[in-house]
Amino acid sequence: MKKISLVLIILMAGVYFYTAVGLPLIGDANSAPNTHVSPRYIEKSYEETASPNMVTATLADYRGYDTLGETTVIFIAGIATVMILRTAASKKYKEERGGEN
Amino acid sequence: MHRSFGSIILDTSFRVLVPFTLVYGIYVLVHGEYSPGGGFQAGALLAVGVVLARLVQGREPIFNIKGTTALILAGIGTFIYGAIGFSTMIFGGKFLEYGRFPIDLHDPAELHALGMLGIEIGVTICVMATIITIFDALTGGEDLL
Amino acid sequence: MLELVIETILLIFLIGTGITALKVKDLLAAIVLFEAFSFFAMLLYLIVGAPDVAFTEAVIGVFSTVFFIAALNKLKRGCKQ
Repeated sequence: MKKISLVLIILMAGVYFYTAVGLPLIGDANSAPNTHVSPRYIEKSYEETASPNMVTATLADYRGYDTLGETTVIFIAGIATVMILRTAASKKYKEERGGEN
Repeated sequence: MHRSFGSIILDTSFRVLVPFTLVYGIYVLVHGEYSPGGGFQAGALLAVGVVLARLVQGREPIFNIKGTTALILAGIGTFIYGAIGFSTMIFGGKFLEYGRFPIDLHDPAELHALGMLGIEIGVTICVMATIITIFDALTGGEDLL
Repeated sequence: MLELVIETILLIFLIGTGITALKVKDLLAAIVLFEAFSFFAMLLYLIVGAPDVAFTEAVIGVFSTVFFIAALNKLKRGCKQ
């Protein structure tokens, strides 16, 4: 079983390396994302948002929905952690119910 | 007051470190449009102070946000973000279209910067409170909920 | 050229700390090695030219270490012999 999983992992790594060769280089001006939407953000972001940092302009203005979802996910993670780990409160609750579940 | 370690070195270094961390957190939040940074990092930096206080001084530190308060604050932070999004809808724009705020600035692009600062404040509060909440839940500090 | 050399060294350190964190028996040592992994990832982000991501990675690396150690303290389970 261990050998089969090792072979599978090596196979997957091979597929990933083979795919990574086809990806565009970092900073390639002719790649697909650098010819459609990136120039628009780079040229217009300071005029439209008055923010010199393009990363913040993209995250908070052009992609505001995404950041809203990210914040909600963080909030849900906090609530879920509290609800899973609230041992003391649930013990007290069980004692008040008198041992019947 | 319960002190879990009680060492004077830890206490003094805590007192020296925390003000600088908090000021740096506020700087990262406000200056996020000009330099690397933003709401997420600022929230984590602000949470450093509270978590350090819990680690050094135990359950009831001098510099504290209570566990239940932190949970409420996390909700308030997310609400600020959503409220700014919906307020632009009230003024006649789309969701999160900051250019529709009825404030008279010399450049309409400045309105976008203002809206971005508003939502970053919401993200900061949410992240800070969530980190404190998770730390409390993991160490079993208080009875939450 | 210098960038390529630094990147290669950092990637070797990244793979080394990752594999060691998986292989080591002591859980506390694994947590500290994971923090080292996160630090090398942060340096790589800086070299590639993404300071925002590097900043987030540094801050989140610190807090994930704190959370892991708190969880380990709650588990009361040290090294597996």
